[in-house]
Amino acid sequence: MTRSRIDLQDLLFGLFLVAVAAGTLVATRNLTVGHAADMGPGYMPRVVALALMGFGLFFTGRGLWRMRIGIAPVQLRPLLAILASVGVFALTAERLGLAIASVVAVLLASFATREGRLIETIAFAIVLSGAAVLLFVKLLGLPIPIWPR
Amino acid sequence: MELFNNLLMGLSTALELNNLLFCLIGVVIGTAIGVLPGIGPIPTVALLLPFTFGLSPPSAMIMLAGIFYGAQYGGSTTAILVNVPGETSSVVTCIDGHEMAKQGKAGTALAIAAIASFFAGTTATIVIAVLSVPLSMLALKFTAVEYFSLLVLGLIAAVVLAHGSVAKSLAMVLLGLLLGLVGIDVSSGVARMTFGIAALSDGLDFVPIAMGLFGLGEIIANLERPSERRVVSQSIRSLIPSRADLRAAFPAMVRGTALGSVLGVLPGGGAALPPFSSYALEKKLARDPSRFGKGAIEGVAGPEAANNAGAQTSFIPLLTLGIPANALMALMIGALMMQGIQPGPQIMTEQPKLVWGVIASMWVGNLMLLVINLPLIGLWVSMLKIPYRLLFPAIVLFCCIGTYGIANSLFNVWLMMGCALIGYFFIKIGVEPAPLLLGLVLGPQFEENFRRAMLIADGDFTVFLSRPISAVILGVVAVLLLAMLSPQILKTRKQALAE
Repeated sequence: MTRSRIDLQDLLFGLFLVAVAAGTLVATRNLTVGHAADMGPGYMPRVVALALMGFGLFFTGRGLWRMRIGIAPVQLRPLLAILASVGVFALTAERLGLAIASVVAVLLASFATREGRLIETIAFAIVLSGAAVLLFVKLLGLPIPIWPR
Repeated sequence: MELFNNLLMGLSTALELNNLLFCLIGVVIGTAIGVLPGIGPIPTVALLLPFTFGLSPPSAMIMLAGIFYGAQYGGSTTAILVNVPGETSSVVTCIDGHEMAKQGKAGTALAIAAIASFFAGTTATIVIAVLSVPLSMLALKFTAVEYFSLLVLGLIAAVVLAHGSVAKSLAMVLLGLLLGLVGIDVSSGVARMTFGIAALSDGLDFVPIAMGLFGLGEIIANLERPSERRVVSQSIRSLIPSRADLRAAFPAMVRGTALGSVLGVLPGGGAALPPFSSYALEKKLARDPSRFGKGAIEGVAGPEAANNAGAQTSFIPLLTLGIPANALMALMIGALMMQGIQPGPQIMTEQPKLVWGVIASMWVGNLMLLVINLPLIGLWVSMLKIPYRLLFPAIVLFCCIGTYGIANSLFNVWLMMGCALIGYFFIKIGVEPAPLLLGLVLGPQFEENFRRAMLIADGDFTVFLSRPISAVILGVVAVLLLAMLSPQILKTRKQALAE
């Protein structure tokens, strides 16, 4: 935890909400709003987005106003490894099949920590992949190819 | 008499062979994830949801419910043996339970925890059965106006009574509501916020969102902390508690059960609040409070009973009114909707077999836990020796496959990846993601009931106040929100929720 001149937690949350609310307002600008007795599809999104905007501005303001602790520094290694693992699974699962996609996903995820030992990780990835194929495809009948088509 | 008939019908459902089997699978998986620190019941239930599609609705709900209360059971084992809470709800059990283990009374502590949980589970099942009928009778009087007010109460109360800042949680509820609106609007058929993506027209699946926010986000944050070496070196001598132990523990068990049953029904109560309150109560009532923290048996029996009673009675709002008390119950609602059952006040009259089957299965499940858990303690202990470096890649893989499995859609896997990033962001900025899940699941109902209420009242907002039931509900909401503005209560709340 680092000391910060502004309350980063509040500020970031506030900005995030403002961005979501603004995005919603833009995305729903063409939808009919209607009125309460005859609500159009744009009524609810707009009401919720405006309320979110209010909260967002409140947190942004409070974040700039108060001096508090900042956020702990972001460590890229676990973040990127887990995201990459999921992303690569999404890219490969249907093309290369579950068996290969599983091994790759487990290997990539294992990079998130420095504790791993290479041989152990590879062996574990293969065992998990086999277990996943047995459990999900053979036993539970998930319609996903096992090998590359 | 009606109660008796209902319970009998429930038992006959719960005792069907396949339901017994799913109950067993549920409680065993639940205990396993309860024992392992770092995996909560929310991602587990989300992960297993896709595989309950093929089951009949009662079997699916029985299994998912078993995971939840099984996890409460398992969490205490870890708390007693290694002083690490397996679940947040067993934090309190660490204090005196681990102290007892250090004094060589690990077996007694485990047995008392199991007996207290069983006692609480049995009592809570009866509480659910007794309360369900009048509540569902009340619910039959509900129109869209009352139901909308009830949804507001459920969302607000869940926010006020749960962890974290109230303002931030309210914002998260709204965020969830907004996400719940994505997809084709049911009344006009117009696509909203789909950005031209076909997979979005049916709305966002909550499973990838729950897995990303709760499962993967949590893993990434866990990996940033330096890993701690946990040593399990407790030999368990005798599992049978002495008569004196039982006599000391029994009153605490009864008080814990009563407290837990009441707190569990409250929205947001769920699992965290009851054990803390029970521990505080036992310490206050004890003749010699200094024993607490040094292995007082009441400090294990009370919170464990409260924990299990609360976990079970938190099903009451869901089973009678269709309102989830916490994020996990929101997942259960989602499971019902995926089975094609519309949760709401009618659920009890329309699905009596389902509701009473689940209620009766809780008692059956608790009995199973008592019978299978104590002999299997060695197995659970050895599970604790699995290092996290092997555990987390396995969870990531199963999340990927499970998410894909809901709709055989790769879009869901990408969605989960995005939610993992956002979940990590939420943890970094100290925001609790649970209210978002409540908003997301209730979003469509929220809009639909508001629309219908406005149709009934011709756009007149005062209808929510002119109808008596609705006015009372909204009055409670106003009191809750006003109470949050009082600095005195705010202070006590902070103390009560501080871990």
